[in-house]
Amino acid sequence: MSIISVRDVSKDYLLGKTQVHALRGVTLTVERGEFLSVAGPSGSGKTTLLNLIGCVDTPTTGVVEVAGRDTSRLTERALTDLRLHQIGFIFQSFNLVQVLSVFQNVEFPLLLQGGLTRAERAVRVQGLLEAVGIREYGRHRPSELSGGQRQRVAVARALVTRPALVLADEPTANLDSQTGQNIIDLMREMNRKDGTTFVFSTHDPKVMAHANAIVRIADGVVAGREPVGAMA
Amino acid sequence: MSARLDATRVLLRIAFRNLVASRVRTVIIGLIVLVGALIVVVGASLMESIDRGMRTSIQGSLGGQLQVYQSTSEGQLELYGGLRGESLLDPIPDFARVKKVLSKVPNVKTIVPMGIDQALVATGNAFDVTLERLRADVRRLQANPRDGEARRGLEARQAHVRRLIALLDQDLRQAQVLADPDGRDAALRKAQRADLDRAAAPEFWPAFERDRLAGLEFLENKIAPLALDSGFTFIRYVGTDVEAFMKAFDLAEVAEGKPIPPGRRGILLGKQYAEEWLKLKNARRLDQIKDKRDRFHARIASSEELQRWVKDTRSRAREILIQLDPLQAAEAERRLRPALKAPQGEELPALLARLFDLDDANFDDHYRIFYEQLAPLLRLYQISVGDTITIKAPGKTGAFNAVNVKVYGFIQFKGIEKSGIAGTTSVMDLQSFRDLYGYVTRDKAEELAKLRAQMGATTVSREEAEAALFGGGASAPLVETTRTAAIDDASLLAGVGEKRKAAQALETRAYTQEEIDGGVALNAAILLDDPSRIRESQAAVQAAADAAGLKLKVVDWETASGMVGQFVLLLRGILVFALVVFFGVALVIINNAMVMAALQRVKEVGTMRAIGAQRRFVVAMLLVEIVAVSLVFGVAGAALGGGVVAIIRAAGGIPATTDLLFFLFSGPALLPHLGVASVAASLILVVAVAIASALYPALIAMRVTPVEAMSMED
Repeated sequence: MSIISVRDVSKDYLLGKTQVHALRGVTLTVERGEFLSVAGPSGSGKTTLLNLIGCVDTPTTGVVEVAGRDTSRLTERALTDLRLHQIGFIFQSFNLVQVLSVFQNVEFPLLLQGGLTRAERAVRVQGLLEAVGIREYGRHRPSELSGGQRQRVAVARALVTRPALVLADEPTANLDSQTGQNIIDLMREMNRKDGTTFVFSTHDPKVMAHANAIVRIADGVVAGREPVGAMA
Repeated sequence: MSARLDATRVLLRIAFRNLVASRVRTVIIGLIVLVGALIVVVGASLMESIDRGMRTSIQGSLGGQLQVYQSTSEGQLELYGGLRGESLLDPIPDFARVKKVLSKVPNVKTIVPMGIDQALVATGNAFDVTLERLRADVRRLQANPRDGEARRGLEARQAHVRRLIALLDQDLRQAQVLADPDGRDAALRKAQRADLDRAAAPEFWPAFERDRLAGLEFLENKIAPLALDSGFTFIRYVGTDVEAFMKAFDLAEVAEGKPIPPGRRGILLGKQYAEEWLKLKNARRLDQIKDKRDRFHARIASSEELQRWVKDTRSRAREILIQLDPLQAAEAERRLRPALKAPQGEELPALLARLFDLDDANFDDHYRIFYEQLAPLLRLYQISVGDTITIKAPGKTGAFNAVNVKVYGFIQFKGIEKSGIAGTTSVMDLQSFRDLYGYVTRDKAEELAKLRAQMGATTVSREEAEAALFGGGASAPLVETTRTAAIDDASLLAGVGEKRKAAQALETRAYTQEEIDGGVALNAAILLDDPSRIRESQAAVQAAADAAGLKLKVVDWETASGMVGQFVLLLRGILVFALVVFFGVALVIINNAMVMAALQRVKEVGTMRAIGAQRRFVVAMLLVEIVAVSLVFGVAGAALGGGVVAIIRAAGGIPATTDLLFFLFSGPALLPHLGVASVAASLILVVAVAIASALYPALIAMRVTPVEAMSMED
């Protein structure tokens, strides 16, 4: 079963007094284990699509199914639970909790979930911090880290619950190219090792090159889906 | 469950770290909460203490827990008097019945009948007192003509009276300069003048020696009333079953003298009343100055009031001179000279001037000298224990009734001795009250019958009255003998003797409980076994009264206290108003601060929501912050308030500067008590206000959607 199924989805919203048709009939299926890039120019609807998939927004028409659940039929609480247990978010601007240490930021979703002992959590968090290469920064506050380090924390936080699906909205937009490369490599490795599905938006061709498929969006519709192998 | 526990832990962690991160806001909110808690703790502790003080004062002095009075009454019961004087109450016609019915109500311990009213009491003057002593000397000499001491006393007393007559002569001349010689009272004044001339004449005293009793009668009846300072003062009393009263009201105690023997007629004068109205003014002023100096640390040098009192004391030295006969005056000189280190041969007027020349340096010494040396020679109170006094009051019909009652002692109420509200109330037996009030008791009926027989008056019905007056038809004269025409001293004395005997009979008669209960009362105090069940018992008493057909109104002690109770209500109102205003302002400030906090954290909150935090998590996070702040600072504020209360206690409490406060505080100072309940209540209150002011910010936080945390690339 595909992890994401988007069928005939449109999304309108009001921007001031004008009706914006952010998406107009998008259909998209993402299988488990895919490493998918959503590409398109600014205003094409990439973020809107990711928001719908990430269960933080609901479509005007059409159906969005995530992990087999029709998101329009879920309550706010159930949607939140779905986000907590199935999805990991990597934000463009990192969005770390400033008053918590790096370790605690990564641990946060686990605490919301509950179920793990303190020791189990420590093992999981330390492992991830090591994987993203900031093990020694566990006790630091986010404000003491560079942009790349913060993004690594965000990646670790998104992965710590071992979600089936990780959504990343322009994960490298605020990073220099070398750091961006490292982050993509990291995500790629997680994808390979654990089979985690990644969907990320970008307009950086170098980043797109790492995906195994690219979905191009323009003007609110899917312009095409192509495997990356052909480009490389 | 561990999920919730983990979530709670991280929630607390974030909340506390946020508090630390935004210190300025935390401190501002904290200080507001702290001040709020402080005000509530101190205010509540004061109110609670005043409540307790008032409860003690009212329940222990007159009120009991409940009061009943006739429901048909025009006015309401006001135990301590109202703006328009005493309560206008219809009498309870048969107290015995009320007692019988209400005693059966569960939880009712005692029922004390009462009649509270004001009356006039005749205060003797120096002249009366001296004549009384003179009479005692005369009696002793009569009994034993060779009693040397009585003879010396008599001579001293005679000298004293001579001096008083001389002073009186001066006063009367002064008064007559001002009076119109041909005015309405011209004849009366002429007669007075003639009497005084006779007493001042040199041949008066030799004549006195020949017939001392006649001389005494002349002085008592003709001269003493001329003394200008003789008069009446008002007395406020409660007529009651004295024995039951003293048992029921635990604050009441006999300060001087002894309790009224069971069933007897008599009065216990309010100690504070005696201090204020009956005490020699010099002594009273000295007491007042001492009180102000000791309790309020006032100084003569800096207080205009004290200076006025000192001046007053000095100008009243004459009253002391008048009181002392030559023997006593010599003794006073002998005592005062060494004490004041005055030169040999300094006379009493100069010594008194020296004694009353008060300043802050010598006050304590002179106060002591006054009380140790001079006071034992003086009659400090116009009425003393053991005196029989005449009390007059307008009765039911408007005509004045008078009763003679023996003063058995002074009464005071423990803790509120100095309160003018309770302390000025005297306690009198119920029979005398009924006489005074104009209800015919059995005694009175007997006495009236005797009087009628004595005077030869016949009972005239209303219809016959005109005929009798104008002589039409009826043959019997109204009054058989006219006794006023020629008064011979012997018959006058005989009359006095008879009166005395009758009065003595009344004084020594002991009434049975049936007699005491069987008659009118104006109200009755009910004391309960368990005062905490007052509401329940109030209803039960009312129900029992209604069922028995008694027209009674049952009120609690607070209502019965009238204006006093309302004053406390006013105090409480002011406190509540101040708190409402304060917390209103606090609400707005805290609300604003928290709204800012919520808006600052939209992104953080949105992120948490996107990651999977439920709405209740972010709401709880904000509330935990505010609850934590308000608890920490609230406890600090309460502790500070406790400190303030402790400091007030250590400093001796808040002094009662007025009578009313004395009463409310149930003592000379309010010692606020820190109740666990008031501390808990203050904490709950500040936390509740803080939470209320964080509700809107919490709503803002709740409405933050995860989308807002996502970067908006479009």
